[in-house]
Amino acid sequence: MAAKPAVIVVGADKGGVGKTTVSRTLLDYFSANNVPTRSFDTESPRGTLKRFHPDITEIVDMTVTADQMKIFDTLNAVSPSVTVIDVRAGLLSRALASLRDIGFLDAAKGGQITFAVFHILGPSIASLDEIAETANFMSGAKYFLVKNFINDTPFFQWDQATYNSYFNRIKDATDLTIPKLNEMAYEQVEVASVPFLKFVANKGPHDEAANYSFVLRGYVRHWLANVWSEFDRIKLTDIVGSAKPSVRSSEK
Amino acid sequence: MPATPIYIICSPRPQVGKTLLARLLGEFLLLKNGRVTAFDINFKEPSLLDYLPGITETADVIGTYGKMQLMDRIILDDGLSKVIDLGFHAFDEFFKMTEEIGFLKEAVRRNVAPIVLFVADTDRVSSRAHEMLRQQIPSSHLIIVDNEFVVRGELLPSMLHGRILRIAALPTFLKTYIDRLTFSFTGYLRQEQDSSTELHQWIRRNYYAFRDLELKLILQGS
Repeated sequence: MAAKPAVIVVGADKGGVGKTTVSRTLLDYFSANNVPTRSFDTESPRGTLKRFHPDITEIVDMTVTADQMKIFDTLNAVSPSVTVIDVRAGLLSRALASLRDIGFLDAAKGGQITFAVFHILGPSIASLDEIAETANFMSGAKYFLVKNFINDTPFFQWDQATYNSYFNRIKDATDLTIPKLNEMAYEQVEVASVPFLKFVANKGPHDEAANYSFVLRGYVRHWLANVWSEFDRIKLTDIVGSAKPSVRSSEK
Repeated sequence: MPATPIYIICSPRPQVGKTLLARLLGEFLLLKNGRVTAFDINFKEPSLLDYLPGITETADVIGTYGKMQLMDRIILDDGLSKVIDLGFHAFDEFFKMTEEIGFLKEAVRRNVAPIVLFVADTDRVSSRAHEMLRQQIPSSHLIIVDNEFVVRGELLPSMLHGRILRIAALPTFLKTYIDRLTFSFTGYLRQEQDSSTELHQWIRRNYYAFRDLELKLILQGS
């Protein structure tokens, strides 16, 4: 169990960069590492994350005070030690400003709460331009710049000056790379509406046996292993205060 | 139950005898088991489909959909032997995919036995491809095919350590004879009364070699 509550915000101001996909990989990762987790889906009123992880996800409207209370006033009261918040497009800066206003960022700076931000970046200047603004809120937080390869574009790595101006400017930020998932595999998981882990295990939403393509399951397994190795690299279970078991439940 | 075998006949080089071997093996399995399914993944070489249309389907491993169509069928433990004639252009993509999707592990789980028949050549491309396969495929499931017509007794030293299936070279006139689309190896064995002919003995020798391969597979599984 975590010594103190941990909050992970996954977001971006730009849409279509894969915020919910990364949130799903995080929930699968914590599940496989036996870290009790709850999550909030801010795609109010419909919710996307909730479709994949209905048991642990609640849909909230982060612009509403009552829902902010639902998330932050319960951090110490509820048993899951890790809270993942999937912030919908366009709301990241506002959400961080709200967290500052309610004193949450100060609490993180004071060490009462572990706070991490996974800033999901797409391969476009519009997306990368968000970094400077978001970085202003990051004192006291673990700030992760998540390069999500939603297509084959290389995040300007062919132009070192441009690349460095975004990725090497923020001193305390850590880069993460999410590789591209095979498109058909991605769509098949979408259709199945199950966590990636269940898809790999060939299970339906209620743990019933499913009949997903072995090829697509293989692609998802390979991709998920690569994503998780990035989470291992940043010692994510240590960050949220949970000792990582030697063998993940999914690997037994 | 013995594992369902999948014979993957491959080389990164064209014109080394992959389709010839696939024809021989396909006809042998058809003779022995009464049924076999072959998959032809060739666009640029003589096609297995042209020789054995009754048992052969075309397949593609370039797109994801094609991969699903092929792999989701061959991973089934249905007791039906399968032969894949993998064209040289599809070599890299196929084995990259099998590595990524964990094909070998899943095959073991499902009582399916992939046997990779790597048709050797003496060039650097073949050497590198063989090394890649050695990293990916357990030695008991990787067989070097020493086609005398191609290798001419000069098999690379790195390929001498694994299991080897030797195919003797035929004289050119017989090679031309068996290359005809209407030629059938089993048909020849049945029709040719004189068992001492060179071709008769060549076919029988290869059929024995396949039987030996199968027996070793069964013994490994038991």
